[in-house]
Amino acid sequence: MTRYDSLLASVGGTPLIGLPRMSPGVQPDGTHVRLWAKMEDRNPTGSIKDRPALRMIEQAEADGTLRPGCTILEPTSGNTGISLAMAAKLKGYRIVCVMPENTSEERRQLLRMWGAEIISSPAAGGSNEAVRVAKQVAGEHPDWVMLYQYGNEANALAHEEGTGPELLADLPTITHFVAGLGTTGTLMGVSRFFRGAKPDVRIVAAEPRYGELVYGLRNLDEGFVPELYDASLIDSRFSVGPRDAVRRVRELLELEGIFAGISTGAILHAALGQAAKAVKAGESADIAFVVCDGGWKYLSTGAYEGTVDEAEDRLDGQLWA
Amino acid sequence: MAIEVRIPTILRTYTDGAKAVDASGETLTALIDDLEVNHPGIKGRLIENGDLRRFVNVYINDEDVRFIGGLEATLTDGDQVVVLPAVAGG
Repeated sequence: MTRYDSLLASVGGTPLIGLPRMSPGVQPDGTHVRLWAKMEDRNPTGSIKDRPALRMIEQAEADGTLRPGCTILEPTSGNTGISLAMAAKLKGYRIVCVMPENTSEERRQLLRMWGAEIISSPAAGGSNEAVRVAKQVAGEHPDWVMLYQYGNEANALAHEEGTGPELLADLPTITHFVAGLGTTGTLMGVSRFFRGAKPDVRIVAAEPRYGELVYGLRNLDEGFVPELYDASLIDSRFSVGPRDAVRRVRELLELEGIFAGISTGAILHAALGQAAKAVKAGESADIAFVVCDGGWKYLSTGAYEGTVDEAEDRLDGQLWA
Repeated sequence: MAIEVRIPTILRTYTDGAKAVDASGETLTALIDDLEVNHPGIKGRLIENGDLRRFVNVYINDEDVRFIGGLEATLTDGDQVVVLPAVAGG
């Protein structure tokens, strides 16, 4: 279907695109290993977060916590806030986002364009600090509605009922699903779907590894694991640093023509690791991975210019995923 | 057997500020015991009630040890171990 009644109605239903040049392809023993990109940048605001954002808002409207005139509050490193702001504008809500100050300028501009008010949280501690500040602000404004993507089941449900079934419909031979681990919503939801529909699909998490500033907590007890996270729904989890992420995101553009955001490079790195493993084991594999967003919002980070070394240096201390 | 262990800022009080230290052991448990010998106190910050602390993530060659045997995950010469506090994404 390509005709929709409104922008909000067009969320999801994204294409799955093969990577003929980056996939190992058909092996001498007749097995094949293929990579497939789930193009979430094709959503209305250009990221996968349109799915959970819309779902969380609709759920809150349905259960009565979100009513006309309400103010939405959310800790976000960018994309979720942008998605919520778009939906809030169309539905008539005010929105306040708490965002770490070490996020790209494009994300701030986009948030403001869609009408969000931004509260900056300290760079040190990354999104942990944004969560902490948002919880504090929520305490001061009990009438504001914090959808709280890290603990809201509607986040995972958007993927269990949307992303997962779309993948199986487009790729019935799917063997692996690889996605980024942030709120954990994508992985939890898609995994729940496949654990029921096709339990042998391996669920692989790629977690961005930032510079030291982001891990500069005052003590370990300030660490954070999203309430949504259930480790039993994941089969492997990899930590991917900025160097591998930048290298892969550039290869994706160079070899397949796909211009993706930096976090997609980290996910692709983990997906290629699974592909190499399958080749070595002599097994066929159809590996689907998530393209979370396009590269537009990250041009100012310098990730796409100069040498990989330079890009790695520029990303140090930034929340690039 | 030398395995490089990368230490997060918050635990460098135990390593005299060193970002990375060498240790040895055939399993993660053995490696952490060896770390404790040279950097007393660090084990208690990583392990609680016989398991990794909730907000501590340990990776062997970038793979989260919780999915490859946890404290019994095996190590070989030249592996790299990274210790990081759990942080939020999204």
